[in-house]
Amino acid sequence: MVSETKPDSNKKKREAIGLLHGEKGLARIHNRQSVFLLLVIGLVLLSLSVFVPDFATARNIWNLLVQVAPIGTMAFGISYVMITGGIDVSSPAVMATAAVIGASYMAKTGDLIFGPFLMLIVGAALGAINGFAVAKLRMVALVVTLATMTICTGIAAVWTKGQSVVGLSPAFSTFFNSTTVLIIFTLLFLTLNFVLARTLYGRWLYLIGTNQNAARMSGLPTVGATFSAYMVSGVCAGVAAIMNTSALSSARPNMGPDTQIVDIVCAAVIGGVAISGGSGKITGVLLGAVLIMMVNNIINLAGVPDYFTSLIKGVIIVLAVGLDRLRTKSVG
Amino acid sequence: MTATVNDNSMNQQSRPYLTLARVSKHFPGVQALKEVSLDAYAGEVLGLVGVNGAGKSTLMNVLAGIVQPDEGTIEIAGRMVEVLNPRMAEDLGIAFIQQEIQVFSQLKVYENILIANLHNWRVAKHIPILSIPKLKLEAKKYLEMLDCGTDPGERVERLSVGERQMVQIARALSQGGRILLIDEPTSSLSMVEKSILFEVIRKLRDSGFAIIYITHYLDEVYEICDKVVVLRDGRTPCQGKVGEVSKTDLIRYMIGRDIELISQDNKRKVGETILEANGITGLTFPRDVSFHLREGEILGIWGALGSGRTELLRALVGFDKLRQGSVLYRFGADLKTTNRKKLLRHIGFITEERHFDGLFLQMPIWQNISSASLRTFASRMFRIMNRRSEIARARSYMDEVNIHAAGVDMLLNQLSGGNQQKTIIAKWMMKGPKVMIMDEPTRGVDIGAKAEIQQIIFEKARSGMSFIIVSSELDEITVLCDRIIVLRKGRISCELTKKDFSKDRLMSEA
Repeated sequence: MVSETKPDSNKKKREAIGLLHGEKGLARIHNRQSVFLLLVIGLVLLSLSVFVPDFATARNIWNLLVQVAPIGTMAFGISYVMITGGIDVSSPAVMATAAVIGASYMAKTGDLIFGPFLMLIVGAALGAINGFAVAKLRMVALVVTLATMTICTGIAAVWTKGQSVVGLSPAFSTFFNSTTVLIIFTLLFLTLNFVLARTLYGRWLYLIGTNQNAARMSGLPTVGATFSAYMVSGVCAGVAAIMNTSALSSARPNMGPDTQIVDIVCAAVIGGVAISGGSGKITGVLLGAVLIMMVNNIINLAGVPDYFTSLIKGVIIVLAVGLDRLRTKSVG
Repeated sequence: MTATVNDNSMNQQSRPYLTLARVSKHFPGVQALKEVSLDAYAGEVLGLVGVNGAGKSTLMNVLAGIVQPDEGTIEIAGRMVEVLNPRMAEDLGIAFIQQEIQVFSQLKVYENILIANLHNWRVAKHIPILSIPKLKLEAKKYLEMLDCGTDPGERVERLSVGERQMVQIARALSQGGRILLIDEPTSSLSMVEKSILFEVIRKLRDSGFAIIYITHYLDEVYEICDKVVVLRDGRTPCQGKVGEVSKTDLIRYMIGRDIELISQDNKRKVGETILEANGITGLTFPRDVSFHLREGEILGIWGALGSGRTELLRALVGFDKLRQGSVLYRFGADLKTTNRKKLLRHIGFITEERHFDGLFLQMPIWQNISSASLRTFASRMFRIMNRRSEIARARSYMDEVNIHAAGVDMLLNQLSGGNQQKTIIAKWMMKGPKVMIMDEPTRGVDIGAKAEIQQIIFEKARSGMSFIIVSSELDEITVLCDRIIVLRKGRISCELTKKDFSKDRLMSEA
């Protein structure tokens, strides 16, 4: 099918330019974004270990990473959706719903094997509802997922009558201890990163997010791929449900407060995922999540009153994203 | 190759209204303008021609105050001026009518026309409520100057493209422009709308406007312009009176070399029928259209704007519903009725609006080229992409269609229209469909790239690919096609074979 190309006179010249300007150019810009984030994180870490006496302890750093896991997991999921040009604000509420349903099943039956799977199934089902509404019925993503968020918050409250679900076998938290959680998180990170960066499916998502109409014209399965991105987000919320439930040894209907979505979206945006779709990498999102949790952590450790928290967080986000925009502007 | 045709005759008239003297502009990596000088006179239309990337848009942006020149001077009505921003350009009477029609489609016509100065039409001074009757009256004044009968109270989204164009011009007039920069105004107009527009331009010219008319189409230069300036690589190799420069000279100045005007290609072998439409009827258009397409054949579809050309293509590939009729496609030996939605797997479709559904503008060239053939690069297990072979293949197609770019990772939004169009063509060449449908294959493409695209079409047809081509350009469709179907109001009004092609026939049947 490939026809032989004639060596034309321009080719040499083009390749010479290609060396300066070449294939690696784009990758370099993407990497620079991660480098930039790492720099910011390093700077914050450094100043913290100097100014906050308790910060630079191994224990605190470990705890920080364990706290990053659920937020980061949901941020990975939402990044899949955002890369297709959509948004999923329902993930904390989906997480809470999956957690209370799974936990109450485990408390009632003592079945610790199916319980975690139930959480994943609930997450996947709710993600599928979002995906169906957005991809197939062409509803607006923000509206659909806002509705799902509200409905899920309701379901979680009704299911538990507002009470915490307790009485889980201690074996659950022993198995899903902080080490296991971090292993799961690492595996999830590696898989989702690889799928997005290297597989056909990942490419579909980027192309759909860049121009959905062109993607359809090129014969890509736009409906199926978009649908599945919401499924991924739902399953990620299910994984986060397992992580949170094990950390608390219980499930509460309010474990995914509405404010959590701000942290998640911010992790993605700081990590370089464009709200308009078509760009972003899972590595960036990981760094974004670390940065966000670090900010939360600092605020706790520094003894800043709670009501300053969102103020400070907001300023940091604007700075991080603003600096990034300035930087990319000067590049492009 | 620099030549100034008839330098003396330029000074016969009184002083020029607008003078650019030795204007230069350097962007990182490009000398966009190099000592460009030109004069525009009141009461004249000055044609500005040049291929994409020649510096036309930079020149316009200098005049519109969007970019500042590094060197050179601008003189308006004998006074030295600096155009620092678009607002200043407006104050100086420079109005820019852009190629992509810029209107607020949700607003009314009068709001669009008077958008810059709405506050001047308050019910009473200091009361921030607008008087709609006054606004309508004022807007009507400008529409009448253009002989345009559009109701100023109409919502713009309900207007035709031609009427929107008029609204845009009326807006320029209402802002007191004396110098009109008109950029490629006809690319989306029908024949009738085009002749109306030219009438309007002549009228404006006669009432003393200095008009700079930018275009790709040389025919339009001869039709509407009094003088012409050629821009190439940021320089002006040629300027002169329109009657005194021949078309071949203009082309030579534009691209810097002779191009072979594409020869008709008669030696092609035409095979068996590959696609057949039987009485297809859509919800409005098309109506009872039947035709067949043979292997290696180039079939043209001709018709006025609104004759249902695009609708016919959409119905064919299953984007629009069919009321009646069927589409047959050859699988192996037999023609079979197909599910039209699956037809898109076998055929390629280049639509007329490449930015809307053809390109991934923020993506590199190689990802655009491979986007319709991604599966061929995915491993069987886990569908992992083989990026290296993908880039290599994309590069070979990039060379095959001769895309001019620094590398395969250049983003599409950094390319000119011609190169963007070639990227779409490369995308479909890589997929290698048996049938290729092209809606306006060379719209917004400069003359050099156009010839190359037409050459590619001939080459592919020789190797057995079949084409269905919709074009609004008579020259293009008569040169390219073996057969032409003429549509009128959604029906086939006649079908012409090569020997019967004639401008008159096509114009009268459409």
